[in-house]
Amino acid sequence: MTATDVRPAPAAPAPASTAPRPRRRLRGGLPALAFLVLLCAAWQVMSALLDSVLVPGVPRIAAELVEIVVDGSFAEQLGITVLRVGLGFALAFVVAVAVGIAMGRSELARRFFEPAVLLGLTIPGLVWALLCVIWFGIELINPVAAVALSSAPALMLTIYQGTRSVDPDLLEMAHVYHFSRATRLRRLWLPALAPSLFAGARLGLSLGWKVIVLVEVFGMSSGVGYQLNNAFAAQNVAAVLAWTLLFAIVMAVLEYGVLQGLERRAGRWRKAVSV
Amino acid sequence: MSAPAATRVLLDGVGKTFVDARSGARQRVLADFSLAVEPGELVAVVGASGTGKTTLLHIVAGLVQPDAGTVDVGSPRLGVVFQQPRLLDWLPVRQNVTLALEAAGLDPAAADDALAAVGLTDYAGSYPTVLSGGQRQRVAVARAFAVEPDLVLLDEPFSALDELTARKLRLLLQELWMQRQRTGMLVTHNPLEAALLADRVIVLAGRPARIAASYRVEAERPRSPEDPNLFDLHSRIVAAL
Repeated sequence: MTATDVRPAPAAPAPASTAPRPRRRLRGGLPALAFLVLLCAAWQVMSALLDSVLVPGVPRIAAELVEIVVDGSFAEQLGITVLRVGLGFALAFVVAVAVGIAMGRSELARRFFEPAVLLGLTIPGLVWALLCVIWFGIELINPVAAVALSSAPALMLTIYQGTRSVDPDLLEMAHVYHFSRATRLRRLWLPALAPSLFAGARLGLSLGWKVIVLVEVFGMSSGVGYQLNNAFAAQNVAAVLAWTLLFAIVMAVLEYGVLQGLERRAGRWRKAVSV
Repeated sequence: MSAPAATRVLLDGVGKTFVDARSGARQRVLADFSLAVEPGELVAVVGASGTGKTTLLHIVAGLVQPDAGTVDVGSPRLGVVFQQPRLLDWLPVRQNVTLALEAAGLDPAAADDALAAVGLTDYAGSYPTVLSGGQRQRVAVARAFAVEPDLVLLDEPFSALDELTARKLRLLLQELWMQRQRTGMLVTHNPLEAALLADRVIVLAGRPARIAASYRVEAERPRSPEDPNLFDLHSRIVAAL
């Protein structure tokens, strides 16, 4: 038997929710589609009324968008940006798990790290971006450090709060059965912290996206932020909008697609509740 | 049969005071408390709620440090059944047992035998969240006995279950207990449970707790819950409470 071999919870009215799913999903997508169509139409009307190069029409933006995607520059630049965010976020995540758990477990650690977390939360991402550009120039460490510094405090705070909600009874159980440190971390702490980790990841990633674009605008010669800056310098508003749209779409897919998928996987042990 | 049990529990002059974090009130739960549990003996600790039974067990388990006195347990392998099952809900039932086996340096494959012994073979791959309360507690019992413990500590293991389920689990526990010589402590507020399972029943009373009465249960195992002798002992324990 495998781990996925779970008996379904004895929820009585299950069949009702399975049958009309395709139609429901379609209906669920309709309002979102209506919003997007309305947005494009409104934009097109505004563009026609203003008749300015600063407000390009929908066809012009779409053409730019297609060009960026087709000539391969989007995939390349996005890959660079995502790599930077990924490395920075991974660094912040590892540090935040260690510090967050320490803060939740030890009063001394909490008092020690608390000022760092509070300071970190209040310092704007723009400042980290500027400082990292000044200190690290065009090295890879620049964007990685900026992303890590701006996302770690929020991650630490959510993980710290999560550790305080971990069931102390389970810690006692792990103690009497002499679970090793590695087992405790992997089988107890991380699964118990999963909801906080996902909440922290959402928050940290959203902060990371914002900072990475700033760093790339100020100090890098590649990446989505750099392309945005180029488009801005050439006063190519359609390109600025196209890059922004593409970037936002990819981030949304990552966040809602990948993170939600992982979250569902991590929470598959939860009993289905039908009320 | 395996080697005789070697673990002895010696508590000498143990004291424990809890300080309420909010009010600062001090509660002297144990003071100059002494108890010896001989190798191979199962001692039941009976008493009303709040008499320090669980504190006593936690001190033996090393979960609570006493303020005074000495605790000599050695370093036995522990099998503990708490009042709540305390399973890792995100791991399948079998893995809850194998983790304890691995931590004890034993063959993880023994988990299936342990689950079979408590009648949960069919649920080995299920998550604990889909089990009933009684089934979950059976997993906890399986885990405690799977690790081949030298010292078994049972903290009101069946008090959260309905009477019928609790009764079945008591008999199951008796069966597991008879398979191998070991030392144990059972904390309960059910006098009949104490009389059925233990070699000796001590009654705790007062604050700080003292041993108000002590009874030796001579009946041979396996015992039946219907045994009139046990019921007689049960009445005497209730009287002491």
